[in-house]
Amino acid sequence: MSRAESSSAVLYHRVVVYLLFAILLLPLAGTLIYSIASSWSATVLPSGFTFKWYVQLWSDPRFLNAFGQSLIVCVGALVLSVVLILPLLFVVHYHFPKLDALMNILILLPFAVPPVVSSVGLLQLYGSGPLAMVGTPWILIGCYFTVALPFMYRAITNNLQAINLRDLMDAAQLLGASTFQAALLVVLPNLRKGLMVALLLSFSFLFGEFVFANILVGTRYETLQVYLNNMRNSSGHFTSALVISYFFFVLVLTWAANILNKDKSQ
Amino acid sequence: MSYVSVQHLQKSYAGTPVFSDINCEIHKGEFVTLLGPSGCGKSTLLRCIAGLTTVDAGQILLDGQDIVPLSPQKRGIGMVFQSYALFPNMTVEQNVAFGLRMQKVATEDSRQRVLEILRLVELHDFAARYPHQLSGGQCQRVALARSLVTRPRLLLLDEPLSALDARIRKHLREQIRQIQRELGLTTIFVTHDQEEALTMSDRIFLMNQGKIVQSGDAETLYTAPVDVFAAGFIGNYNLLDADSASKLLQRPVTGRIAIRPEAIELSRSGEPDALIRSHSLLGNVIRYRVEARGVELVVDVLNRSAADLHPDGTRLSLSIDSTALCEVA
Repeated sequence: MSRAESSSAVLYHRVVVYLLFAILLLPLAGTLIYSIASSWSATVLPSGFTFKWYVQLWSDPRFLNAFGQSLIVCVGALVLSVVLILPLLFVVHYHFPKLDALMNILILLPFAVPPVVSSVGLLQLYGSGPLAMVGTPWILIGCYFTVALPFMYRAITNNLQAINLRDLMDAAQLLGASTFQAALLVVLPNLRKGLMVALLLSFSFLFGEFVFANILVGTRYETLQVYLNNMRNSSGHFTSALVISYFFFVLVLTWAANILNKDKSQ
Repeated sequence: MSYVSVQHLQKSYAGTPVFSDINCEIHKGEFVTLLGPSGCGKSTLLRCIAGLTTVDAGQILLDGQDIVPLSPQKRGIGMVFQSYALFPNMTVEQNVAFGLRMQKVATEDSRQRVLEILRLVELHDFAARYPHQLSGGQCQRVALARSLVTRPRLLLLDEPLSALDARIRKHLREQIRQIQRELGLTTIFVTHDQEEALTMSDRIFLMNQGKIVQSGDAETLYTAPVDVFAAGFIGNYNLLDADSASKLLQRPVTGRIAIRPEAIELSRSGEPDALIRSHSLLGNVIRYRVEARGVELVVDVLNRSAADLHPDGTRLSLSIDSTALCEVA
Protein backbone atom coordinates (compact mmCIF):
# COMPACT_ATOMS: atom_id res chain seq x y z
CA MET A 1 0.00 0.00 0.00
CA SER A 2 1.40 3.43 -0.97
CA ARG A 3 1.89 6.22 1.58
CA ALA A 4 -1.00 8.29 0.10
CA GLU A 5 -3.34 5.28 0.25
CA SER A 6 -2.25 4.49 3.76
CA SER A 7 -2.81 8.06 5.03
CA SER A 8 -6.26 8.20 3.41
CA ALA A 9 -7.11 4.87 5.08
CA VAL A 10 -5.95 6.27 8.44
CA LEU A 11 -8.07 9.39 7.87
CA TYR A 12 -11.11 7.25 6.99
CA HIS A 13 -10.68 5.11 10.13
CA ARG A 14 -10.31 8.22 12.28
CA VAL A 15 -13.46 9.77 10.82
CA VAL A 16 -15.42 6.58 11.51
CA VAL A 17 -14.16 6.38 15.11
CA TYR A 18 -14.77 10.08 15.86
CA LEU A 19 -18.23 9.91 14.25
CA LEU A 20 -19.11 6.94 16.42
CA PHE A 21 -17.90 8.76 19.53
CA ALA A 22 -19.91 11.85 18.53
CA ILE A 23 -23.09 9.82 18.02
CA LEU A 24 -22.62 8.14 21.42
CA LEU A 25 -21.70 11.32 23.28
CA LEU A 26 -24.23 13.68 21.66
CA PRO A 27 -27.25 12.68 23.82
CA LEU A 28 -25.06 12.76 26.90
CA ALA A 29 -23.67 16.19 26.03
CA GLY A 30 -27.23 17.43 25.37
CA THR A 31 -28.39 16.12 28.74
CA LEU A 32 -25.36 17.67 30.47
CA ILE A 33 -26.02 21.11 28.93
CA TYR A 34 -29.73 20.83 29.72
CA SER A 35 -28.91 19.95 33.34
CA ILE A 36 -26.89 23.16 33.81
CA ALA A 37 -29.21 25.41 31.77
CA SER A 38 -31.35 27.83 33.78
CA SER A 39 -34.01 27.55 31.07
CA TRP A 40 -33.89 26.24 27.50
CA SER A 41 -37.16 26.04 25.63
CA ALA A 42 -37.92 28.61 22.92
CA THR A 43 -34.32 29.58 22.10
CA VAL A 44 -31.51 27.86 20.15
CA LEU A 45 -29.11 28.21 23.05
CA PRO A 46 -29.84 28.12 26.78
CA SER A 47 -30.72 31.50 28.27
CA GLY A 48 -28.17 31.01 31.08
CA PHE A 49 -26.23 28.44 33.10
CA THR A 50 -26.75 27.42 36.71
CA PHE A 51 -26.01 24.60 39.15
CA LYS A 52 -29.31 25.06 40.96
CA TRP A 53 -30.76 21.77 39.62
CA TYR A 54 -27.81 19.86 41.07
CA VAL A 55 -28.10 21.73 44.39
CA GLN A 56 -31.83 20.99 44.43
CA LEU A 57 -31.27 17.33 43.58
CA TRP A 58 -28.49 16.67 46.08
CA SER A 59 -30.43 18.42 48.86
CA ASP A 60 -33.56 16.34 48.23
CA PRO A 61 -33.75 13.74 51.05
CA ARG A 62 -35.94 11.49 48.87
CA PHE A 63 -33.22 11.38 46.19
CA LEU A 64 -30.49 10.69 48.73
CA ASN A 65 -32.62 7.95 50.21
CA ALA A 66 -33.25 6.37 46.78
CA PHE A 67 -29.55 6.63 45.94
CA GLY A 68 -28.59 4.92 49.19
CA GLN A 69 -31.22 2.22 48.74
CA SER A 70 -30.02 1.52 45.19
CA LEU A 71 -26.50 1.16 46.53
CA ILE A 72 -27.61 -1.20 49.30
CA VAL A 73 -29.54 -3.44 46.91
CA CYS A 74 -26.75 -3.54 44.30
CA VAL A 75 -23.93 -4.09 46.78
CA GLY A 76 -26.03 -6.70 48.64
CA ALA A 77 -26.68 -8.62 45.42
CA LEU A 78 -23.03 -8.45 44.40
CA VAL A 79 -21.77 -9.58 47.81
CA LEU A 80 -24.18 -12.52 47.61
CA SER A 81 -22.94 -13.27 44.09
CA VAL A 82 -19.27 -13.26 45.11
CA VAL A 83 -19.90 -15.39 48.19
CA LEU A 84 -21.91 -17.99 46.25
CA ILE A 85 -20.47 -17.93 42.73
CA LEU A 86 -16.73 -17.89 43.49
CA PRO A 87 -16.74 -21.14 45.48
CA LEU A 88 -19.19 -22.65 42.97
CA LEU A 89 -16.91 -21.78 40.06
CA PHE A 90 -13.90 -23.16 41.89
CA VAL A 91 -15.67 -26.45 42.61
CA VAL A 92 -16.99 -26.75 39.02
CA HIS A 93 -13.64 -26.04 37.39
CA TYR A 94 -11.41 -27.95 39.78
CA HIS A 95 -13.50 -30.96 40.78
CA PHE A 96 -16.30 -31.30 38.20
CA PRO A 97 -15.16 -29.70 34.92
CA LYS A 98 -17.83 -31.61 33.02
CA LEU A 99 -20.50 -29.54 34.82
CA ASP A 100 -19.30 -26.40 33.01
CA ALA A 101 -21.47 -27.22 29.96
CA LEU A 102 -24.58 -27.47 32.19
CA MET A 103 -23.64 -24.25 34.00
CA ASN A 104 -23.33 -22.44 30.67
CA ILE A 105 -26.97 -23.30 29.94
CA LEU A 106 -28.15 -22.41 33.45
CA ILE A 107 -26.54 -18.97 33.45
CA LEU A 108 -28.42 -18.03 30.28
CA LEU A 109 -31.81 -18.54 31.94
CA PRO A 110 -32.02 -15.04 33.49
CA PHE A 111 -31.69 -13.63 29.97
CA ALA A 112 -34.01 -16.17 28.38
CA VAL A 113 -37.02 -15.03 30.44
CA PRO A 114 -38.01 -11.37 29.92
CA PRO A 115 -37.93 -9.30 33.17
CA VAL A 116 -41.65 -8.47 32.97
CA VAL A 117 -42.57 -12.15 32.72
CA SER A 118 -40.27 -13.26 35.55
CA SER A 119 -41.51 -10.32 37.69
CA VAL A 120 -45.07 -11.61 37.39
CA GLY A 121 -43.87 -15.08 38.40
CA LEU A 122 -41.95 -13.67 41.35
CA LEU A 123 -45.00 -11.63 42.44
CA GLN A 124 -47.07 -14.84 42.48
CA LEU A 125 -44.42 -16.76 44.39
CA TYR A 126 -43.31 -14.19 46.92
CA GLY A 127 -46.45 -12.02 47.18
CA SER A 128 -47.91 -13.94 50.10
CA GLY A 129 -47.31 -16.98 52.25
CA PRO A 130 -44.25 -17.82 54.33
CA LEU A 131 -41.86 -16.21 51.82
CA ALA A 132 -43.73 -12.93 51.38
CA MET A 133 -40.92 -10.59 50.33
CA VAL A 134 -42.56 -8.37 47.70
CA GLY A 135 -42.03 -4.72 48.60
CA THR A 136 -38.85 -5.44 50.60
CA PRO A 137 -35.23 -5.05 49.46
CA TRP A 138 -34.68 -8.80 49.99
CA ILE A 139 -36.60 -9.79 46.89
CA LEU A 140 -34.59 -7.27 44.85
CA ILE A 141 -31.29 -8.56 46.23
CA GLY A 142 -32.27 -12.16 45.36
CA CYS A 143 -33.58 -11.14 41.96
CA TYR A 144 -30.50 -9.03 41.14
CA PHE A 145 -28.31 -11.96 42.16
CA THR A 146 -29.81 -14.01 39.30
CA VAL A 147 -29.40 -11.07 36.91
CA ALA A 148 -25.72 -10.69 37.86
CA LEU A 149 -25.09 -14.44 37.55
CA PRO A 150 -24.27 -14.53 33.79
CA PHE A 151 -21.89 -11.53 34.03
CA MET A 152 -20.10 -12.96 37.05
CA TYR A 153 -19.93 -16.55 35.80
CA ARG A 154 -18.67 -15.70 32.32
CA ALA A 155 -16.01 -13.18 33.34
CA ILE A 156 -14.60 -15.34 36.14
CA THR A 157 -14.72 -18.51 34.02
CA ASN A 158 -12.63 -16.81 31.32
CA ASN A 159 -10.15 -15.79 33.99
CA LEU A 160 -10.04 -19.30 35.46
CA GLN A 161 -9.39 -20.85 32.07
CA ALA A 162 -6.52 -18.43 31.49
CA ILE A 163 -4.61 -19.29 34.68
CA ASN A 164 -4.36 -23.10 34.34
CA LEU A 165 -6.19 -23.74 37.61
CA ARG A 166 -5.38 -27.45 37.95
CA ASP A 167 -1.60 -27.11 37.67
CA LEU A 168 -1.52 -24.11 40.03
CA MET A 169 -3.55 -25.99 42.64
CA ASP A 170 -1.43 -29.13 42.24
CA ALA A 171 1.80 -27.15 42.54
CA ALA A 172 0.59 -25.29 45.64
CA GLN A 173 -0.57 -28.52 47.31
CA LEU A 174 2.71 -30.30 46.62
CA LEU A 175 4.45 -27.34 48.27
CA GLY A 176 2.44 -27.97 51.42
CA ALA A 177 -0.64 -25.75 50.99
CA SER A 178 -4.08 -27.07 51.92
CA THR A 179 -6.85 -26.76 49.31
CA PHE A 180 -8.16 -23.68 51.12
CA GLN A 181 -4.69 -22.07 51.34
CA ALA A 182 -4.01 -22.81 47.67
CA ALA A 183 -7.35 -21.27 46.66
CA LEU A 184 -6.85 -18.24 48.89
CA LEU A 185 -3.17 -17.49 48.27
CA VAL A 186 -2.72 -18.64 44.69
CA VAL A 187 -6.02 -18.81 42.81
CA LEU A 188 -7.99 -15.90 44.28
CA PRO A 189 -5.34 -13.18 43.67
CA ASN A 190 -5.16 -14.29 40.05
CA LEU A 191 -8.93 -13.95 39.66
CA ARG A 192 -8.86 -10.30 40.76
CA LYS A 193 -9.09 -8.90 37.25
CA GLY A 194 -11.94 -11.16 36.13
CA LEU A 195 -13.78 -10.52 39.38
CA MET A 196 -13.39 -6.74 39.06
CA VAL A 197 -14.68 -6.78 35.47
CA ALA A 198 -17.63 -8.92 36.54
CA LEU A 199 -18.44 -6.66 39.48
CA LEU A 200 -18.24 -3.47 37.43
CA LEU A 201 -20.38 -4.86 34.63
CA SER A 202 -22.96 -6.18 37.05
CA PHE A 203 -23.00 -3.01 39.15
CA SER A 204 -23.50 -0.72 36.16
CA PHE A 205 -26.31 -2.93 34.92
CA LEU A 206 -28.04 -3.34 38.28
CA PHE A 207 -27.71 0.30 39.29
CA GLY A 208 -29.72 1.26 36.21
CA GLU A 209 -32.25 -1.56 36.50
CA PHE A 210 -35.87 -0.41 36.47
CA VAL A 211 -38.36 -3.19 35.57
CA PHE A 212 -37.79 -5.51 38.53
CA ALA A 213 -37.43 -2.59 40.96
CA ASN A 214 -40.67 -0.95 39.80
CA ILE A 215 -42.83 -4.10 39.68
CA LEU A 216 -41.49 -5.96 42.72
CA VAL A 217 -40.87 -3.07 45.12
CA GLY A 218 -42.07 0.21 43.60
CA THR A 219 -42.26 3.15 46.03
CA ARG A 220 -42.16 0.88 49.10
CA TYR A 221 -38.36 0.73 48.74
CA GLU A 222 -37.63 3.38 46.16
CA THR A 223 -34.45 2.88 44.11
CA LEU A 224 -32.80 5.48 41.90
CA GLN A 225 -34.49 4.41 38.67
CA VAL A 226 -37.92 4.23 40.33
CA TYR A 227 -37.30 7.71 41.77
CA LEU A 228 -36.36 8.97 38.30
CA ASN A 229 -39.57 7.50 36.92
CA ASN A 230 -41.62 9.10 39.68
CA MET A 231 -40.02 12.48 39.03
CA ARG A 232 -40.74 12.39 35.28
CA ASN A 233 -43.41 15.07 35.64
CA SER A 234 -41.08 17.51 37.42
CA SER A 235 -38.64 19.83 35.61
CA GLY A 236 -36.63 18.27 32.76
CA HIS A 237 -33.57 20.16 34.02
CA PHE A 238 -33.93 18.41 37.37
CA THR A 239 -34.19 14.92 35.86
CA SER A 240 -31.28 15.72 33.53
CA ALA A 241 -29.19 16.61 36.58
CA LEU A 242 -30.20 13.23 38.04
CA VAL A 243 -29.16 11.32 34.90
CA ILE A 244 -25.81 13.14 34.73
CA SER A 245 -25.20 12.55 38.46
CA TYR A 246 -25.93 8.85 37.96
CA PHE A 247 -23.65 8.66 34.92
CA PHE A 248 -20.87 10.55 36.68
CA PHE A 249 -21.09 8.27 39.71
CA VAL A 250 -20.71 5.12 37.57
CA LEU A 251 -17.84 6.77 35.65
CA VAL A 252 -15.94 7.67 38.84
CA LEU A 253 -16.55 4.19 40.23
CA THR A 254 -15.18 2.56 37.06
CA TRP A 255 -12.15 4.85 37.06
CA ALA A 256 -11.44 4.16 40.75
CA ALA A 257 -11.80 0.40 40.19
CA ASN A 258 -9.36 0.58 37.28
CA ILE A 259 -6.82 2.43 39.40
CA LEU A 260 -7.17 -0.11 42.22
CA ASN A 261 -7.05 -3.00 39.76
CA LYS A 262 -3.78 -1.90 38.17
CA ASP A 263 -1.41 -4.80 38.41
CA LYS A 264 1.77 -3.86 40.21
CA SER A 265 3.55 -6.59 38.24
CA GLN A 266 2.79 -4.90 34.89
CA MET B 1 17.02 -52.05 49.35
CA SER B 2 15.18 -49.78 46.91
CA TYR B 3 14.45 -46.19 47.90
CA VAL B 4 11.26 -46.02 45.82
CA SER B 5 9.29 -49.18 45.26
CA VAL B 6 6.11 -49.27 43.20
CA GLN B 7 4.25 -52.52 43.78
CA HIS B 8 1.30 -53.88 41.80
CA LEU B 9 -0.05 -50.40 41.14
CA GLN B 10 -3.44 -50.20 39.42
CA LYS B 11 -5.31 -47.23 38.03
CA SER B 12 -8.32 -46.94 35.76
CA TYR B 13 -10.58 -44.12 34.61
CA ALA B 14 -14.29 -44.96 34.24
CA GLY B 15 -13.53 -48.67 33.93
CA THR B 16 -10.77 -48.19 31.35
CA PRO B 17 -7.44 -49.29 32.84
CA VAL B 18 -4.53 -46.85 32.51
CA PHE B 19 -2.20 -49.44 34.00
CA SER B 20 -3.05 -52.70 35.69
CA ASP B 21 0.07 -54.04 37.42
CA ILE B 22 2.98 -51.63 37.51
CA ASN B 23 6.09 -52.66 39.43
CA CYS B 24 9.38 -50.81 39.58
CA GLU B 25 12.28 -50.20 41.94
CA ILE B 26 14.39 -47.05 42.11
CA HIS B 27 17.58 -46.64 44.12
CA LYS B 28 18.54 -43.63 46.23
CA GLY B 29 20.17 -40.86 44.19
CA GLU B 30 19.16 -42.45 40.88
CA PHE B 31 17.89 -40.45 37.89
CA VAL B 32 15.19 -42.58 36.33
CA THR B 33 13.16 -41.80 33.23
CA LEU B 34 9.66 -42.99 32.35
CA LEU B 35 9.74 -43.01 28.56
CA GLY B 36 6.86 -43.76 26.26
CA PRO B 37 4.39 -42.42 23.72
CA SER B 38 1.48 -40.13 24.64
CA GLY B 39 -1.26 -41.99 26.52
CA CYS B 40 0.98 -44.84 27.74
CA GLY B 41 0.29 -43.94 31.40
CA LYS B 42 3.66 -42.41 32.35
CA SER B 43 2.26 -39.06 33.52
CA THR B 44 -0.56 -40.80 35.40
CA LEU B 45 2.03 -42.97 37.17
CA LEU B 46 3.97 -39.82 38.12
CA ARG B 47 0.80 -38.13 39.42
CA CYS B 48 -0.02 -41.27 41.45
CA ILE B 49 3.43 -41.11 43.05
CA ALA B 50 2.90 -37.39 43.78
CA GLY B 51 -0.53 -38.10 45.29
CA LEU B 52 -2.33 -35.85 42.79
CA THR B 53 -4.20 -38.86 41.39
CA THR B 54 -5.61 -41.62 43.57
CA VAL B 55 -4.64 -45.22 42.90
CA ASP B 56 -7.09 -48.14 42.71
CA ALA B 57 -4.75 -50.69 44.28
CA GLY B 58 -1.10 -51.30 45.04
CA GLN B 59 1.62 -49.74 47.12
CA ILE B 60 4.16 -46.97 46.66
CA LEU B 61 6.98 -47.25 49.18
CA LEU B 62 9.22 -44.22 49.67
CA ASP B 63 12.17 -44.95 51.93
CA GLY B 64 10.24 -47.93 53.30
CA GLN B 65 7.04 -46.00 54.05
CA ASP B 66 3.81 -46.60 52.09
CA ILE B 67 2.84 -43.12 50.87
CA VAL B 68 -0.44 -44.09 49.16
CA PRO B 69 -2.60 -43.10 52.16
CA LEU B 70 -0.78 -39.75 52.53
CA SER B 71 -1.99 -36.47 51.02
CA PRO B 72 0.34 -34.70 48.52
CA GLN B 73 1.26 -32.16 51.21
CA LYS B 74 2.62 -34.89 53.49
CA ARG B 75 4.61 -36.92 50.96
CA GLY B 76 7.64 -34.62 50.85
CA ILE B 77 7.77 -34.81 47.07
CA GLY B 78 8.75 -31.96 44.75
CA MET B 79 7.35 -31.73 41.26
CA VAL B 80 8.04 -29.66 38.15
CA PHE B 81 5.23 -29.33 35.60
CA GLN B 82 5.34 -28.97 31.83
CA SER B 83 3.33 -25.73 32.16
CA TYR B 84 5.77 -24.44 34.87
CA ALA B 85 2.74 -23.72 37.14
CA LEU B 86 4.43 -20.63 38.56
CA PHE B 87 2.12 -18.41 40.60
CA PRO B 88 1.56 -15.33 38.38
CA ASN B 89 0.78 -13.02 41.32
CA MET B 90 4.11 -13.69 43.03
CA THR B 91 7.67 -12.66 42.22
CA VAL B 92 10.36 -15.25 41.56
CA GLU B 93 11.49 -14.95 45.18
CA GLN B 94 7.94 -15.32 46.52
CA ASN B 95 7.31 -18.30 44.23
CA VAL B 96 10.42 -20.08 45.46
CA ALA B 97 9.69 -19.18 49.08
CA PHE B 98 6.10 -20.44 48.91
CA GLY B 99 6.92 -23.98 50.09
CA LEU B 100 9.02 -22.65 52.97
CA ARG B 101 6.19 -20.28 53.92
CA MET B 102 3.83 -23.27 54.09
CA GLN B 103 6.38 -25.07 56.28
CA LYS B 104 6.53 -21.93 58.49
CA VAL B 105 10.30 -21.61 58.10
CA ALA B 106 11.65 -18.44 59.80
CA THR B 107 11.88 -15.46 57.42
CA GLU B 108 15.67 -15.02 57.61
CA ASP B 109 16.35 -18.72 57.12
CA SER B 110 13.83 -18.82 54.27
CA ARG B 111 15.45 -15.83 52.51
CA GLN B 112 18.86 -17.47 52.82
CA ARG B 113 17.65 -20.77 51.36
CA VAL B 114 15.80 -19.03 48.52
CA LEU B 115 18.91 -17.06 47.58
CA GLU B 116 21.06 -20.19 47.70
CA ILE B 117 18.74 -22.15 45.44
CA LEU B 118 18.31 -19.22 43.03
CA ARG B 119 22.10 -19.05 42.79
CA LEU B 120 22.15 -22.77 42.01
CA VAL B 121 19.81 -22.25 39.03
CA GLU B 122 21.64 -19.02 38.09
CA LEU B 123 18.60 -16.79 38.64
CA HIS B 124 19.62 -14.79 41.73
CA ASP B 125 19.48 -11.55 39.69
CA PHE B 126 15.85 -12.21 38.76
CA ALA B 127 14.42 -12.55 42.28
CA ALA B 128 12.21 -9.46 42.04
CA ARG B 129 10.74 -10.29 38.63
CA TYR B 130 7.30 -11.71 37.93
CA PRO B 131 6.86 -14.92 35.91
CA HIS B 132 5.52 -13.06 32.85
CA GLN B 133 8.79 -11.10 32.73
CA LEU B 134 10.83 -14.31 32.26
CA SER B 135 11.55 -16.56 29.27
CA GLY B 136 10.30 -20.16 29.15
CA GLY B 137 13.68 -21.55 30.18
CA GLN B 138 13.95 -19.14 33.10
CA CYS B 139 10.40 -20.00 34.21
CA GLN B 140 11.27 -23.68 34.25
CA ARG B 141 14.42 -22.99 36.30
CA VAL B 142 12.31 -21.06 38.81
CA ALA B 143 9.91 -24.00 38.95
CA LEU B 144 12.87 -26.31 39.55
CA ALA B 145 14.22 -24.02 42.30
CA ARG B 146 10.77 -23.86 43.91
CA SER B 147 10.54 -27.64 44.09
CA LEU B 148 14.13 -28.06 45.34
CA VAL B 149 14.10 -25.43 48.08
CA THR B 150 11.91 -27.54 50.38
CA ARG B 151 14.52 -30.34 50.17
CA PRO B 152 12.11 -32.99 48.88
CA ARG B 153 12.70 -36.71 49.40
CA LEU B 154 11.92 -37.33 45.75
CA LEU B 155 11.83 -35.04 42.71
CA LEU B 156 9.32 -35.61 39.90
CA LEU B 157 9.75 -33.91 36.53
CA ASP B 158 6.70 -34.11 34.24
CA GLU B 159 7.92 -33.33 30.70
CA PRO B 160 9.59 -30.14 31.97
CA LEU B 161 11.41 -29.44 28.71
CA SER B 162 8.63 -30.10 26.20
CA ALA B 163 7.49 -26.48 25.89
CA LEU B 164 11.00 -25.12 25.29
CA ASP B 165 12.94 -24.60 22.07
CA ALA B 166 15.70 -27.06 21.13
CA ARG B 167 18.72 -24.97 22.21
CA ILE B 168 17.34 -24.09 25.66
CA ARG B 169 16.10 -27.65 26.09
CA LYS B 170 19.60 -29.02 25.57
CA HIS B 171 21.16 -26.53 27.99
CA LEU B 172 18.50 -27.07 30.63
CA ARG B 173 18.70 -30.86 30.54
CA GLU B 174 22.44 -30.64 31.26
CA GLN B 175 21.74 -28.19 34.08
CA ILE B 176 19.01 -30.38 35.61
CA ARG B 177 21.29 -33.44 35.52
CA GLN B 178 24.18 -31.50 37.06
CA ILE B 179 22.01 -30.16 39.90
CA GLN B 180 20.51 -33.61 40.49
CA ARG B 181 24.02 -35.11 40.79
CA GLU B 182 25.20 -32.28 43.05
CA LEU B 183 22.28 -32.76 45.45
CA GLY B 184 22.19 -36.55 45.09
CA LEU B 185 18.44 -36.27 44.67
CA THR B 186 16.39 -39.29 43.62
CA THR B 187 14.55 -38.13 40.49
CA ILE B 188 11.84 -39.49 38.22
CA PHE B 189 11.68 -37.80 34.85
CA VAL B 190 8.82 -38.26 32.39
CA THR B 191 9.33 -37.71 28.69
CA HIS B 192 8.33 -38.98 25.26
CA ASP B 193 11.65 -37.82 23.80
CA GLN B 194 14.08 -40.75 23.46
CA GLU B 195 17.10 -38.44 23.10
CA GLU B 196 16.31 -36.75 26.43
CA ALA B 197 15.86 -40.14 28.08
CA LEU B 198 19.08 -41.59 26.67
CA THR B 199 21.27 -38.61 27.53
CA MET B 200 19.98 -37.88 31.04
CA SER B 201 19.08 -41.14 32.73
CA ASP B 202 20.83 -43.66 34.92
CA ARG B 203 18.00 -46.01 34.07
CA ILE B 204 15.04 -45.90 31.70
CA PHE B 205 11.62 -47.53 32.11
CA LEU B 206 10.09 -47.84 28.66
CA MET B 207 6.28 -47.83 28.87
CA ASN B 208 3.61 -48.83 26.39
CA GLN B 209 -0.14 -49.24 26.91
CA GLY B 210 0.10 -49.09 30.69
CA LYS B 211 2.98 -51.55 31.01
CA ILE B 212 6.70 -51.24 31.56
CA VAL B 213 7.94 -53.18 28.54
CA GLN B 214 11.66 -52.80 29.18
CA SER B 215 13.97 -51.27 31.75
CA GLY B 216 17.69 -50.79 31.87
CA ASP B 217 20.43 -48.27 31.22
CA ALA B 218 20.55 -46.24 28.03
CA GLU B 219 22.95 -48.60 26.27
CA THR B 220 20.88 -51.71 27.01
CA LEU B 221 17.71 -50.08 25.76
CA TYR B 222 19.38 -48.78 22.65
CA THR B 223 21.34 -51.86 21.66
CA ALA B 224 19.05 -54.65 22.84
CA PRO B 225 15.35 -53.81 22.39
CA VAL B 226 13.16 -56.64 23.70
CA ASP B 227 10.25 -56.28 21.31
CA VAL B 228 8.99 -54.60 18.17
CA PHE B 229 7.64 -51.62 20.13
CA ALA B 230 10.96 -50.99 21.90
CA ALA B 231 12.86 -51.30 18.62
CA GLY B 232 10.43 -48.93 16.92
CA PHE B 233 10.37 -46.36 19.71
CA ILE B 234 14.07 -46.14 20.46
CA GLY B 235 16.30 -45.40 17.49
CA ASN B 236 15.29 -45.98 13.88
CA TYR B 237 15.61 -49.75 13.79
CA ASN B 238 15.05 -51.71 10.59
CA LEU B 239 12.44 -54.28 11.60
CA LEU B 240 12.44 -57.40 9.43
CA ASP B 241 10.11 -60.39 9.55
CA ALA B 242 11.61 -63.90 9.29
CA ASP B 243 11.27 -64.10 5.47
CA SER B 244 12.91 -60.74 4.78
CA ALA B 245 15.63 -61.41 7.37
CA SER B 246 16.38 -64.81 5.76
CA LYS B 247 16.65 -63.19 2.32
CA LEU B 248 18.91 -60.42 3.57
CA LEU B 249 21.20 -62.54 5.73
CA GLN B 250 21.09 -65.51 3.30
CA ARG B 251 20.54 -68.00 6.10
CA PRO B 252 17.37 -69.33 7.73
CA VAL B 253 15.96 -67.03 10.40
CA THR B 254 12.94 -68.01 12.52
CA GLY B 255 11.94 -64.82 14.33
CA ARG B 256 11.81 -61.07 13.81
CA ILE B 257 15.10 -59.24 13.53
CA ALA B 258 15.90 -55.62 14.36
CA ILE B 259 18.98 -53.95 12.87
CA ARG B 260 20.25 -50.50 13.81
CA PRO B 261 20.74 -48.29 10.72
CA GLU B 262 24.25 -47.28 11.80
CA ALA B 263 25.30 -50.96 12.16
CA ILE B 264 24.98 -51.49 8.39
CA GLU B 265 28.04 -50.65 6.32
CA LEU B 266 28.09 -49.54 2.70
CA SER B 267 31.33 -49.76 0.76
CA ARG B 268 32.54 -49.38 -2.81
CA SER B 269 34.71 -52.53 -2.58
CA GLY B 270 33.17 -55.99 -2.74
CA GLU B 271 30.10 -57.34 -4.54
CA PRO B 272 27.66 -54.46 -5.31
CA ASP B 273 24.50 -56.00 -3.86
CA ALA B 274 22.76 -52.83 -2.58
CA LEU B 275 21.07 -50.10 -4.62
CA ILE B 276 20.67 -46.59 -3.17
CA ARG B 277 17.04 -45.51 -3.71
CA SER B 278 17.20 -42.11 -1.96
CA HIS B 279 19.16 -40.20 0.62
CA SER B 280 18.77 -37.29 3.00
CA LEU B 281 21.39 -35.25 4.80
CA LEU B 282 20.73 -34.94 8.55
CA GLY B 283 23.85 -32.90 9.31
CA ASN B 284 26.51 -35.19 10.72
CA VAL B 285 24.69 -38.25 9.38
CA ILE B 286 23.56 -39.21 5.87
CA ARG B 287 20.43 -41.37 5.87
CA TYR B 288 20.13 -43.72 2.87
CA ARG B 289 17.13 -45.75 1.75
CA VAL B 290 18.70 -48.86 0.25
CA GLU B 291 17.37 -51.97 -1.48
CA ALA B 292 19.49 -55.07 -0.86
CA ARG B 293 18.59 -58.62 -1.83
CA GLY B 294 14.95 -57.60 -2.27
CA VAL B 295 14.73 -55.99 1.17
CA GLU B 296 14.31 -52.23 1.85
CA LEU B 297 16.61 -50.88 4.57
CA VAL B 298 17.49 -47.57 6.22
CA VAL B 299 21.24 -47.05 6.56
CA ASP B 300 22.90 -44.22 8.52
CA VAL B 301 26.44 -43.26 7.49
CA LEU B 302 28.61 -40.77 9.34
CA ASN B 303 29.13 -37.70 7.14
CA ARG B 304 32.93 -37.46 7.42
CA SER B 305 33.79 -36.28 3.90
CA ALA B 306 32.33 -35.85 0.41
CA ALA B 307 33.32 -39.48 -0.28
CA ASP B 308 30.57 -40.63 2.10
CA LEU B 309 27.87 -39.00 -0.02
CA HIS B 310 26.70 -41.44 -2.74
CA PRO B 311 24.22 -40.34 -5.39
CA ASP B 312 20.87 -42.14 -5.78
CA GLY B 313 21.09 -45.17 -8.07
CA THR B 314 24.64 -46.06 -6.96
CA ARG B 315 25.34 -49.75 -6.40
CA LEU B 316 27.44 -50.57 -3.33
CA SER B 317 28.42 -53.51 -1.23
CA LEU B 318 26.43 -53.97 2.00
CA SER B 319 27.65 -55.70 5.15
CA ILE B 320 26.07 -56.14 8.57
CA ASP B 321 27.94 -56.79 11.80
CA SER B 322 26.39 -59.96 13.23
CA THR B 323 26.60 -58.56 16.80
CA ALA B 324 24.23 -55.75 15.78
CA LEU B 325 21.38 -58.17 14.98
CA CYS B 326 18.69 -58.29 17.65
CA GLU B 327 15.99 -60.87 17.83
CA VAL B 328 12.79 -59.22 19.00
CA ALA B 329 9.49 -60.64 20.20
